[in-house]
Amino acid sequence: MRVALLVAAIAPALAAAWAVGQLLNETTTTSASYTWVDGLDLGFHFAANELGLLMMLLVSGIGAGVFVYASGYFSPTAAAATRFPATLLAFSTSMLGLVLADSIWTLFIFWEFTTVTSFLLVGHKHQDPTVRAAARRALMITGGGGLALLAGLIILGNEAGTSTISELTPVSGTAATVAAVLVMIGAATKSAQFPFHVWLPGAMAAPTPVSAYLHSATMVKAGVLLVAVLGTVFADVTWWKTLGLAFGIASMFWGAIGALRQRDGKLILAWGTVSQLGLLITLLSLGTAKATFAAISLLFAHALFKAALFLIIGEVDIRTGTRNIDELGGLSRRMPVAFAVALAAGVSMMGAPPLLGFMAKEAAIEAALGLAGTERIVVAGAIIGASILTVGYTVRFLIGVFGPGPDTAVAPRRLAMTIPAVVLAALSVAGYFGAGIVTNIVGPAATQLNAKADVYELIRWPGLKTAFVISVGILIAGCALGTILARRSMTEPATIGAESADRAIDGVLDFAPKLTAAVQHGSLPVYLATMATAVTVAALPFLGELSFDHVVLWDHPVQGVLAVAIVAAAIAGGFVTSRLGAALTLGAVGTGISGLFIAQGAPDLALTQLLVETVIVVGFVIGLGHLAHRFPESTGAWTTTRGVLAVTGGVAVVAALVASSASPTGTAPIDELTTASVDEGGGNNVVNVILTDMRALDTLGEVVVLATVAIGILALARTRTPETAS
Amino acid sequence: MSAALLLAIGGLTSAGIYLITARSLSRIILGFSLLGHAAVLALMASGGPAGEAPIAPTDGIANPLPQALSLTAIVISFGLTLFLLALAARQRTLTGDDLVEDDIEDRRVAAAGDDA
Repeated sequence: MRVALLVAAIAPALAAAWAVGQLLNETTTTSASYTWVDGLDLGFHFAANELGLLMMLLVSGIGAGVFVYASGYFSPTAAAATRFPATLLAFSTSMLGLVLADSIWTLFIFWEFTTVTSFLLVGHKHQDPTVRAAARRALMITGGGGLALLAGLIILGNEAGTSTISELTPVSGTAATVAAVLVMIGAATKSAQFPFHVWLPGAMAAPTPVSAYLHSATMVKAGVLLVAVLGTVFADVTWWKTLGLAFGIASMFWGAIGALRQRDGKLILAWGTVSQLGLLITLLSLGTAKATFAAISLLFAHALFKAALFLIIGEVDIRTGTRNIDELGGLSRRMPVAFAVALAAGVSMMGAPPLLGFMAKEAAIEAALGLAGTERIVVAGAIIGASILTVGYTVRFLIGVFGPGPDTAVAPRRLAMTIPAVVLAALSVAGYFGAGIVTNIVGPAATQLNAKADVYELIRWPGLKTAFVISVGILIAGCALGTILARRSMTEPATIGAESADRAIDGVLDFAPKLTAAVQHGSLPVYLATMATAVTVAALPFLGELSFDHVVLWDHPVQGVLAVAIVAAAIAGGFVTSRLGAALTLGAVGTGISGLFIAQGAPDLALTQLLVETVIVVGFVIGLGHLAHRFPESTGAWTTTRGVLAVTGGVAVVAALVASSASPTGTAPIDELTTASVDEGGGNNVVNVILTDMRALDTLGEVVVLATVAIGILALARTRTPETAS
Repeated sequence: MSAALLLAIGGLTSAGIYLITARSLSRIILGFSLLGHAAVLALMASGGPAGEAPIAPTDGIANPLPQALSLTAIVISFGLTLFLLALAARQRTLTGDDLVEDDIEDRRVAAAGDDA
């Protein structure tokens, strides 16, 4: 499996290298298309634009690192050796398709691919029931969000008149509002926004390489990417911004509070991710140029530091056997390299110099300060408050994992696990000193979303400006908070959210068989009654179109006489109690129908009908003649129900016919058919020519049906009685 | 559209629905047959008014298209009715009557749902 993982790392590494090359060359956008269904605007469209390349770099670069890391993480004898690299690579590919998609349908398809592959990855240790529950929860929540997204995208596609993302123009109106809300809900489920975040902590049941990859750099960023890409399209929709800010701010705080209450190092990071994603959604929902620039910078910084931190907690887990901060101690001495990496990444997460996270956080604060009115107070207050909590949980994490405590036994270092973490941490540091290069990467991506963002750049040392003073304040307050809380042993919060999500899923699963039992009850008469009811209900819309303008009493008086006779015979057929009587009423109805055909001017039909009717009556008598002569008595409520259904059904069919006759369209093609049958078919009997010439293939099919029926009847007729068969 | 035809269609549909929801297979067959008649008449009625038989070169002929479609419909419902009759005859051979029992598989599915 180790070799497989290292080989698998080559593909994302190449993709990342290509992305870097494209970013540095600043060449034109590379695009590719494949038409799937022509005329339905369905196809796979990809465009490696600035934001796409940035995401591609993160997805593939971190992906390559995670593959290398995983080769050290798993023991060589691990079970399911072949499945893991394959699934992880499938996920990586899906994610790449998602970030490069230039059609909302392509985006959606890859969005769902990531949902399914991440379900498989979260459920990797599927022998454990809690893991299965966590994977199912993640699948149901993100899958449900996917449905909302699909609905939203369909509405958006209709409103905007195109499915190509780069050609989408701003939409507004009621439909656009509905689309915006649905898309935002889809994004919130994927990016684990409150209250949909409940799947993310559970997903930590996955192997750590998966968590580091999916829940830091890639999958959870899909929702953020969606909000970024469609932000300009929904810029005029008030609800888009309102809902985005509500999700974002709630998640910022609730995630950070959750991180402060956890004792499992990996869960601290997971809850921290919820908080960080909330910050990204908040900034992108604002839609201002500065906020967009800050969001993209933060997205980049977050991917680097959060992946590094996840890799480290995984290494701690593997080498000490625990992730609980109460049980860990003295690791700063015993795992110095890991400590250095965690320190660099952690300080970047806090937003302190000299690290990449500082510049991004600074830009975010400045963006919030640049707003006006109530928005400024709310957003700036929220970002500052959540940042204090972020510093707090980072400090608590660092002290908890690496600080003093009971001495923990540490296994030897595995090189494959160390290298990717070191590289990521080094990039967080290098990003600060190479601020210009990072600006060249994140700047164009932000500019692609908001043209006014091209004036901004990441600033290494802003001087004593308001934002910097605030940053210092945040760091002091946060460090104090974190140090105090690190000493205090807190009870872990109850997983109420996850439990209620599970209960909801279980409820659906319990309800489904009950519904099936109610619907699939096994009684043929009730099935048929249900169908008759459906027919009646389907006729309801016609009631509004009723008009008797085109209804005449009869075309010929004989129609009236025959109709009355037929109805009388049919009613008699319903009530007659002897089988022979029933057969006779059937014959009477058939003969009456033949008469109607003659009156209508259809001698062929009349002849056929007479023949058919004779055979059926004979068949009825032969086939069922041996039965008791009388039908079993049927009375009671069911008979009444049948009667009501019968009357309403008949009325409904008549109403539908009258309504459809009220608005005739065109004229009957009588002359065309006559000419065609004489000139092309060479026959004067138009009906015959239609059947044997114009619709010859249909008639052949009909003959086949009759032959099949004949064979079936022969087989059925050979059935012996149980006594004679044995 | 002729009210007389509409009356026949409505009456046949009602009697048909009443009969197909019965327990006895021979009544169900009767009901299907009547519903088939109703469908053919509906097809004819919506095709236009009555006229001369559609044999060229007569003027004022009835619309031949619904007639052609109806002919197919008559034959197919004939096949269906005969097949159902054969089923009923087999049912009689096996059980002595022609009552339709509840589907056992469906009952099992329903029972599984009730237990869940």
